[in-house]
Amino acid sequence: VLNRRCVEAAVMTGLALNCHINKKSLFDRKHFFYADLPAGYQITQQRVPIAVNGSLSYSLCIDNKMSQMVTKTVRIKQIQLEQDSGKSLRDDIRSQTLVDLNRAGVGLMELVMEPDMCCGEEAAAAVRELQLILQTLGSSQAVMAEGQLRVDANVSVHHPGEPYGVRTEVKNINSIRFLAKAVDYEIQRQIEELGNGRTILNETRAFDSKLGCTVPMRDKEGKQDYRFMPEPNLPPLILYDAKSLPANMNYQQLINIDWIHERLPDLPTVKREKLVEQYGILPEHSFTLLNEDGLAEFFESVVKQTQMKPKKVIGWILNDLLSYLKQHSLTVKESPVSSFLLADLLNLLEKKEISSTAAKRVLAELWKGEGKTPLETVKEQKLELLQDQKELEQICQAVIDGQENE
Amino acid sequence: QKLSVEMLDHLERLALVDFRDSEGVERLQKAIQFADQLHEVNTDGVEPMDSVLEDRCLYLREDDVTEGNCAKELLENARETVEEYFVAPPGNIPLEKLEGRKTYLQGS
Repeated sequence: VLNRRCVEAAVMTGLALNCHINKKSLFDRKHFFYADLPAGYQITQQRVPIAVNGSLSYSLCIDNKMSQMVTKTVRIKQIQLEQDSGKSLRDDIRSQTLVDLNRAGVGLMELVMEPDMCCGEEAAAAVRELQLILQTLGSSQAVMAEGQLRVDANVSVHHPGEPYGVRTEVKNINSIRFLAKAVDYEIQRQIEELGNGRTILNETRAFDSKLGCTVPMRDKEGKQDYRFMPEPNLPPLILYDAKSLPANMNYQQLINIDWIHERLPDLPTVKREKLVEQYGILPEHSFTLLNEDGLAEFFESVVKQTQMKPKKVIGWILNDLLSYLKQHSLTVKESPVSSFLLADLLNLLEKKEISSTAAKRVLAELWKGEGKTPLETVKEQKLELLQDQKELEQICQAVIDGQENE
Repeated sequence: QKLSVEMLDHLERLALVDFRDSEGVERLQKAIQFADQLHEVNTDGVEPMDSVLEDRCLYLREDDVTEGNCAKELLENARETVEEYFVAPPGNIPLEKLEGRKTYLQGS
């Protein structure tokens, strides 16, 4: 039985990726034998998937400098709904496979991309953007380490102008960093193989994260014959839009594409533009804000609570707060300094009650999370800026006098 | 049209059936001939049918958890388990190549 939420998630994702949504899509059985597929077949959408012909735009930094970003696009061939298999673990010591069927049968979305990317960095950037989109939509929490988002990379090489080379499929990639490594390794390996006069086999390889290389996967036999056939238990999936919505059907059984479209949240690209427009920050700033979970919200919260201009606040967020969090491997949520405390501190700076150097010292103190307010810390360490004209004159005079005595 | 040994071997490998003897292969041959009668029907301009249910409405289930927490009962089905896992051989054991097997097909 098909879960309604799966269909909604697939439609939302398809719309967010500029796909054409097929109002009628079909289900098929893909037959093969494996320990984690007890039924001997997987229900998928081989003939007509739910969404086709979309695109994903992502940004890359040129030359590792955040100052220059370029936008690239990868075409989405299709999105299909299918069943998950169980999870299998190799036990090489006892020469057996351990199978956990907990997730077997759960709905998956498979996104197929066209070969528009040319290196590990592009693949990583594209998948990162996809992750942010899926998280924004709520289709998936897309945490790779937990298998919520799984990526198989298909890699091939060819000389410019020539047709695409034989591709290999690389599996067992568990993070975005490893994705970039796996893709780059495989590209190099293929170039070397071909350079040595050998050929590339159309095979499946596994990424070994410890060794940083890809190895052939033992289990995969030669070319499989999946004997695709229509899934007899699932009639075609029919989706409607505002125009075609039938009047007399139970609304729970209907999916209205237009209704979903109207309710799509702001995608990361739009959010970034809005941050730039609203706060006058640079595009690369908004890129970093969205790249860290919760950072954009933290920034906006501080801006609301302080008189300091957003253009100045962003420096404190990206340079001071973020670098501290990174050093201590903390997420924004785990920050010992709340947006309230930081705003409080920035207000002192803005009112010229302390200097910028003093503010950094206070911040260093606040990191300890001892519950002191910025003002208490300032008083404790006597960091107040002197405002009194007379007092300043006295000090200056004393210094000058001291010089004269030497 | 007689089925080639390669085709029979391919079928045995795919479906993990053993045609066993000439009677089994003969039965397969007859089954194919029976199904081939479909080719006699003119289907020009006719949309292929998926199943007799294809005009029905696909039921969409609400995303509610209505059952589960029965790992213990499910694992009882298995002869062998390790912690909460089912145990399977280390990988697919591919059928030996035709030359290595002791089957009827070898003799054909």
